[in-house]
Formats: sequence, C-alpha cells, structure tokens
Amino acid sequence: MSGNGKAPMVAVEGVKKVYRRDAEEVKVLDGLSLEVPEGDFVALMGPSGSGKTTLLNLIAGIDRPTAGKVVVAGTDVAQLGESELARWRSRNVGFIFQFYNLIPVLTAEENVALPLLLTSLSKKERRERALTALKVVGLAERSQHYPRQLSGGQEQRVAIARAIVADPKVLVADEPTGDLDSKSAEEILALMETLNRDFGKTIVMVTHDPRAAQRAHTQHHLEKGVLSL
Amino acid sequence: MKYLPYVLKHLRRNWIRTGSTVMAMAVCIFLFCTLQTIIAAVNYGLKSASASRLVTRHSVSLVYNMPLAYKERIAQIPGVKRVAISNWFGGVMGLPPDFTKFFANFAVEPEDYLAIYPEYVLSDAEKQAFFADRRGAIVGPELAKRFGWSVGSTVQLESTIPPYRIGRPFEFVISGIYQVDEVRYPGTDGRLFFFHHKYLEESTRNRAGAGTFSIEVNDPERAAAVGKAIDAYFENSDVRTKTETEAAFRAGFVSLAGNLALLLNGIGIAVTFTILLVTANTMSMAVRERRTEIAVLKTLGFGSELVMALILVEALILGVMGGGLGLVLGKAMIGVLPSLPLIGDVARAFPNLGLSPLIAATGFGIAVFLGLAAGLLPALQAYRARITDTLRTV
Repeated sequence: MSGNGKAPMVAVEGVKKVYRRDAEEVKVLDGLSLEVPEGDFVALMGPSGSGKTTLLNLIAGIDRPTAGKVVVAGTDVAQLGESELARWRSRNVGFIFQFYNLIPVLTAEENVALPLLLTSLSKKERRERALTALKVVGLAERSQHYPRQLSGGQEQRVAIARAIVADPKVLVADEPTGDLDSKSAEEILALMETLNRDFGKTIVMVTHDPRAAQRAHTQHHLEKGVLSL
Repeated sequence: MKYLPYVLKHLRRNWIRTGSTVMAMAVCIFLFCTLQTIIAAVNYGLKSASASRLVTRHSVSLVYNMPLAYKERIAQIPGVKRVAISNWFGGVMGLPPDFTKFFANFAVEPEDYLAIYPEYVLSDAEKQAFFADRRGAIVGPELAKRFGWSVGSTVQLESTIPPYRIGRPFEFVISGIYQVDEVRYPGTDGRLFFFHHKYLEESTRNRAGAGTFSIEVNDPERAAAVGKAIDAYFENSDVRTKTETEAAFRAGFVSLAGNLALLLNGIGIAVTFTILLVTANTMSMAVRERRTEIAVLKTLGFGSELVMALILVEALILGVMGGGLGLVLGKAMIGVLPSLPLIGDVARAFPNLGLSPLIAATGFGIAVFLGLAAGLLPALQAYRARITDTLRTV
C-alpha cells in the first residue's frame, strides 16, 4: 500500500530478470522492488545497461519477469497469457518511444487512431477521439499530415496523442526527449506534465537527461539492476 | 473490414514492388490458364477419337494433298470398311477475312463421312437435303447459335489455302444442324462446318485432291495392322502415305506429339514455383522492413494472431489481384490466339478453345494459394517476433 492507503498504480516486488545469451546468463534486474502511486510522475535514471528500459518494459507488459511480481493497475501482468496481455496493454498502458515509431504510411490522425481499431468504436467515433487527442497535444491542424511532413517534436507529440487516445491509466516513456533538440524536448516535457497534472495520468519515464528527470515528482536511480534513491 | 484501409495503405507504400509482384503472379496465372486451356482443347479432341477409325495423310506433311484415286485403292485393302475424303478448307467469313469469326470447316464426302462419323446426328430429312444440294452444308449447334444460323441460311467463306482460292468466296446454304449426343459420343465438337467435297473439286477445277482419308475398319483391334497395310500399299508410289489412329492423328496434327500434358504441366509447375519464391521473397522483404512497426503494433495491444492475420490478408490481396489480372490476360490471349499469325493456324484447329470455368477457378485458386503460401513464413515470423527483441535490434 502507498502512503495514502490506496493500492499503488504500479507495484514491482522482488523482480528478477535474467537474459540468456548462449550458455551465459546476464542478470539485468536483481530482486528489484518499486511502488508508483496513482497520479505520480516518476523518472528512472541510470547508466546504460543498468536495467531502466527492462524495468519499463516489465511495467508496460511487453516483457515478463524471470521471478517476482509486477502489478499494474491492479493486474499481475506476469500471470496473463499472450493474448490477454496484449488486450490488457491496449486498455491500460500508453507507450511513448524515443524514436516516435509512427507508421509512415498513415497520417497523424490515422496513427493516433491506430489503438482504437482494437475497440468496438465506430469509424466516426475513432476519428473524433483521435482529433481530440491531437487537440490535447496541440496538433489538430496537422491531422492529415504524414510523419515525414512533421518535425521531430511534432512526431513525438503525435506519438503521445497515440499513447493517450485510448485513455490508459499509465503512460510509460522510454527516453521521450532523447532524439529531440532542447526546445522540442522542453515542449514534450511540458506536455507530459500537463497530462500528469490535468489528466491524472501516472507516468513512468526513463531518461538520461537530468533536466528531464527534474520535471518528475520522483526520481529513481538504477545501478546494475538495483534501485538506489 | 476496419483493418482493410491499413492493409491497403501498406500495399500502396511501395507500389512498384506491389505492382511487380502482382504482375509476376498474373504472368504465372496467365501461363497456367493458357497452357491448361490448350491441354484441355487437345484432350477434348482426343476424347472423341474412335478406336475404329484411321486417318491417312500425305507422308511428308498435311500441307500436301493426295490423289483422289487413292480412295478406291484404300477401300480394297482387307479390313477397311469405309473410306471418306476430308479436306481442311480453312475458310473465313468476311471481306477482308475476319479471323475473330473463325471456325473449323471441312470439305467431305457426305454419305461416307456421316456413315463413318455417327456422332454428327441428323434427321433423315436433313441428311437427304444435304446430300442433294451440292452447295449444302451442315453445321454444329453451337456454331449455328453463335452466328444465328438456321436451315436455309446462306454463308460465304473464302479459304486461306491458296489452291482453294478461286477469286471469290464459296457460297453455302445450311441444309441441317447436326445434334451432339454427349452421352453416347463424349467430346463431340458442336462447332464444325461440313460441306461437299465435290463442290470444292468443281470450284477449283479438280485442283483440290484429298487432304486426308477417314477410314473405318471392320475390327478395331486390327486397326494398327490395317494402317500398316495401307502405308505399305503406297510405299512405292510418288505420293506415300502415313496412316495413324484418329487419336494419334489429332495429337500429331498440331505437331504436339509426345507427352504434351507433361511438357506443358512441367512448364506450369516451374513457373509457379519460381513465382512462389519471388513472391515469398518480396513478402519477406516487405515484412522485414516493417519489423519496428510490427513491434509497435504489438506494443499498442495488437495480438500476435491479429498481426499475423494482417500480413496474411496483405499476401492474400496480392494473390487475388495477381489472379484476377492473370485471368483477364489469359482470357484475352485465348480469345486472340486464333487470329495471331502462325500460331493462329494451330489454334484454329481447336474450335472449342476457350477458358473454362474450371481452369479459371483453378488458376485463381493457385494465385490465392501462392499469395497465402508466400505470406505464411513472414506472417509466422511476425507472429513469433518478441517486442523487446525487435525494438532492441532496430
């Protein structure tokens, strides 16, 4: 339980993650525990290879722990089958990538509406929601533009719109400003603050950038798979 | 259906690659349909060949005719029941000749020919009318239907064969429309046109000669021996003969002797397999290029089965487009084949040449199968791709 008595949005308990390379075992996370309260904005920092992205992937439900428990939004994600996990991700987690990873053949609006294809919404409803998400990130007027017609900062804002369009409880961001100039990075961080403050999104962000980390409420440092505050 | 626009956008992404893949498949199906149609046409002709019938022709080539007097000599050879002269007329309607309206037409000796070929069923009245009128002709029901002919209709044909060209078209009057009994005589061609050999002889001032002799033997089991006896009889003549069973004659007529089906099917299989490899490679490339996107889709919550299905649908669309285009090309080619120079002469020997629904459906099925088979491996790769591994390696 978190300090306010409510169950934390993210609860990682004694998680181990071991990768196997041929006969060699590489221990990435070693009994790590972490709690992120609902509505928190957490930054995970640490050197390369410290396990930040691995932890983020476990929280996002795109990887499974070797041992331990990862409970997100009340669901132990390690207990879900592949199909259930995919369905769970579509409803509970919005993922923001370092390199935006928009689909180049789709317009901004179509990219944003992509996760809504998994819902029972009509085409009109999907379009309306995508436009609303684009409005939130300030890009409604660029809805018909393709990714190649957008700047890096705009692409990342479209990616954020895609992450929030299904109204997930948790946003996970892997180096969201890592590929941006300082001005664009500042805009993205401001947008994430807004999503956290005004829309109540719980955000877990991996970053190398201390300035970005300062925008989070809580900072965690990872060193060789172990947390150090 | 809601995923279709997404799939189509991907197909449009590299339209040159998509177009060339569709074209490769289309060529494959086009070849399949054309080759199978030719095989079917040959088999159709062979199916109606009788074991008790022989065909004698000039030993050098069908191009050369034999003396008419050979008929009486052949008739005297033991085992021969009946002989009829038959000449390929090669007549075409229209001035200038309209090859799109081409059909097979023969000059025959009516009484003997119809006695040897009972599959051309006529009433006694029609037969007598045909025998009595030197300009009379009998036609198959399909041919009559095609041109709207009935008994009494007049038809003008001008031959493409020089000795039969007399500076004006031959005029015929339809004496009867023969019926086809597919139960008793399967494979009977309902698109033929027969007229009097005498009319040809008289009009060409006895230049016609005998193109072939159709021979009915008393005992089908002795057909080969009778054929040898006929050829032996003319061994020392100026014009030697070559006698074959009707089936062998029909196969040899188009210079396609030997195992035609094996050859054409071999070509078809080789082409199909090559196209399968090309398409599979193209699909693999297309999916390999989209590894990140596949990982992103899975991250967004698209299940592995759904991602796999999207790729298979993409491959299926390629197959459907290739198959459809191939069928259109195949149908067009089969349609124009008889009017092409050189090969058209051979094609015209098969009046029943046409893309059958069975061949079209099989061709289309092969295209769909090719598409799915080509997409299966990349789809499986996408199905198995782990998000973290894929994102890490891009």
